[in-house]
Amino acid sequence: MRKQALSGILGVLAALLIGALVLLLQGFNPVVTYAALLQYSLFSTSGFAATLTRSVPLVLTGLSASIAFASGPANLGQPGQLIMGALGATLVGLFVRLPTGLLVPLCILASLAGGALWSGFAALLKRVFAMDEFIVTLMLNFVADYFALWVITYPLFDTSASSPMTRPISMAAWLPDVGGVNASVLVMVLATFICWLLMSWGRSGYEWRMTGQNALFARIGGCKVDANYVRVMLITGALAGLAGGLMIMGGPHRFVKGLGANYAWDGIMIAVVANNGILATFLYGLLFSMLQQGAIGMELVTAVPSEFIDVLQAIIVLVVVAGRVSLNMVFDKLATRRKLREESKE
Amino acid sequence: MSDVLIDLQHISKVFPPDTVALADVSVSFKAGEIHALVGENGAGKSTLMNVLYGLEHRDAGDIVFKGAKVDFRTPREAIAAGIGMVHQEMLLIPEYTVWQNVVLGTEPVGMFGTVDVHRAREGVRRKIEEFQFNLEADALVGDISVAARQKVEILKLLYRNVSVLVLDEPTSVLTPQEIPQLFGELQRLRDKGHTIIFISHRLDEVLSLSDRVTVMRRGKVVSTSASSSLTKQDLARQMVGREVLFTSRRSPQEPGDVVLSAHGLSSSTVEHHSALHDVTVEVHSGEIIGVAGVEGNGQFELVNAIIGLIPLTSGRLTVGGRDITHADILARRSLIAFVPQDRGKMGASGAASILENAIMTHHILDPSFSIAGGLGLSHRRATAFTEQVRKQFAVSMGRVGDSFHSLSGGNQQKVILGRELLLETPFVLMDQPTRGLDVGSIEYVHELLLDLRRRRRAVLLISADLDELFMVADRIMVMWQGRVAADLATDATSREEVGYYMLGGRETAHAETSS
Repeated sequence: MRKQALSGILGVLAALLIGALVLLLQGFNPVVTYAALLQYSLFSTSGFAATLTRSVPLVLTGLSASIAFASGPANLGQPGQLIMGALGATLVGLFVRLPTGLLVPLCILASLAGGALWSGFAALLKRVFAMDEFIVTLMLNFVADYFALWVITYPLFDTSASSPMTRPISMAAWLPDVGGVNASVLVMVLATFICWLLMSWGRSGYEWRMTGQNALFARIGGCKVDANYVRVMLITGALAGLAGGLMIMGGPHRFVKGLGANYAWDGIMIAVVANNGILATFLYGLLFSMLQQGAIGMELVTAVPSEFIDVLQAIIVLVVVAGRVSLNMVFDKLATRRKLREESKE
Repeated sequence: MSDVLIDLQHISKVFPPDTVALADVSVSFKAGEIHALVGENGAGKSTLMNVLYGLEHRDAGDIVFKGAKVDFRTPREAIAAGIGMVHQEMLLIPEYTVWQNVVLGTEPVGMFGTVDVHRAREGVRRKIEEFQFNLEADALVGDISVAARQKVEILKLLYRNVSVLVLDEPTSVLTPQEIPQLFGELQRLRDKGHTIIFISHRLDEVLSLSDRVTVMRRGKVVSTSASSSLTKQDLARQMVGREVLFTSRRSPQEPGDVVLSAHGLSSSTVEHHSALHDVTVEVHSGEIIGVAGVEGNGQFELVNAIIGLIPLTSGRLTVGGRDITHADILARRSLIAFVPQDRGKMGASGAASILENAIMTHHILDPSFSIAGGLGLSHRRATAFTEQVRKQFAVSMGRVGDSFHSLSGGNQQKVILGRELLLETPFVLMDQPTRGLDVGSIEYVHELLLDLRRRRRAVLLISADLDELFMVADRIMVMWQGRVAADLATDATSREEVGYYMLGGRETAHAETSS
């Protein structure tokens, strides 16, 4: 755990250094650039709030991928599950008339169900036809994408709009701002906490982790690996769906074309960088959100194009993941030397 | 005979984080000798040879071969220099013939880059004749015996004109009857000028075959001496560091009621599993039944059938009177403690912590592990349980949260044994529980087995080690081609008889020796 924190911090710092080098080579001032980045993501009230709101889909899809990868199933369907979750929340928000206190939870449930439906379909295909979820979830992303596009272009099209989108959902389903921060952030933090409880203290989390590491061992140990597989798929799908629902309820309040953007893919990337840890996923989610939010300010203040942030993210992924392995090798080498010295003294 | 061919000087090798596999090891091998390298499992014999062969990189030391310093980075370089090694696991293609396997990688190439079949086959035939190996060049490797496959492995190296042969535990896969033939061939090779380095932990064969013996213990060389000056007791003492008993320690004891009853178990061939044919076993309380057999004759399938990993086509399975023929694995696990043969694959998760490995199955069966109505796992209980395993089974380990693969093999096995035996089940299924352990740990496991017998549990012990079976088992069941070839009372049989059945000598199941 401490080793991982160390390699993470070192990795991010090293990546920032490399990024500074890239900026220098391009003729930009890295100090000014990084200052603008931080100014617009952390050190201004509105920037900080925006960073937190942006982190919601990143963290939730990241958790979805982390839990799936740690438990075995290669669920790569977060983008599609996010869209189906968003669609679920939209439908309830459009057609159900209830007071806020009931409608918000109902919309959240609908988003969970939307995501779980999509991943559950993949799980079903795996159980019945032994189709690999790796490819099925990937393909279902396209299906969800075009299905949602059809829904917002035809049946639910807002006739007053010029591009595909639905009418706004009922005001009662809008998530309010609490102290300047959107309530979706609170839901995200709560979801993170529950995931952490589940994986660190839950009996299921233990069984899932063991199954992910060595399925035969878990099976011989009496774990119901097949049932666990379905549960993991449903829960990780629901998490990605929740990301979509919160985006609708906290943001544009309607399903707009291109809603999911790249959030879910970034989430999968975050899970990889975080080595499937819950807390690490949360922290890297915040970091990536900060970079993406800061990119807007960076573009305003400096001449650096916001694409630089994509480069920086890629560098972080490479340096942290590669660094984790090589740092372990360094630790091993040090241990070897120490041992040899001890031996020669004897 | 006197000039030094290979000189290993001050070799050290550490496996991170802190396993010292070799500590300043110096040995020299003379040209034209059979040199045995003996020691317990984990003493560093194989590692030393892997370092020489370019499979492992040493952390310190020099290798001098024919008077010059060498440093083989890959086995290919070692073979090119004239040193070849045969490993315990054979790496042959069963669908290819003997000659195809032998030439693979160095095929004589004809016009247009095609394999010159005639030249290749003739080349292999000549080698077979030259070394008087009793092999058929055109036989499919999949059809020939394990002993013959081993010869193919040796032939592969001779075909590449190596002058030094390293054999890693070559007799471990052979039956007692096949060993003398191998030894004859090795002696012939030596007389033709080859140098043979022979890794073993079986003392009798070391003394009968080798010219000189080097004993290793815990990564260090204890001694190198002429075999003629040694006795088995000397070797054992040097290997283990103290006196070792070679006798059975079973005390006479009447078996009790039937605990495991497997009746007429049959299975069809699935994937790589061979089928079981009408296998019947009964294990009584206070009794250890040993299962012997050449590897791949249905022992593993029997284990899998009992634990519920492969489906049965017919037969009935009961434990303590409960029919578990169709029960799921969890239901079986409340009655069966199971120590699998492969720790890494079936018995544990190396990446997980010691605690996580120790509590498997208990976390379901023992309600005291639950908190929050079964949703949560009690860390306090899990820690206390892991500490109990540590204490009761003398596991030498750091913190309970350390990773499982930071433990030595013996300690890993102790954690698994502790976990399984603390399930307190009436029936214990052990599949090669001493495989890959050092002599100290093996003795520990044997004591544990005898203790289980005293406490009147029923034990089914699958083992490839006949000495082990003769030491602890009440009866020895021999499996051959998925059938029970013989069921023998240990005190009324001999290694030769068991070996005879292992090769499929007679097919009468349940010989008249039943008690």
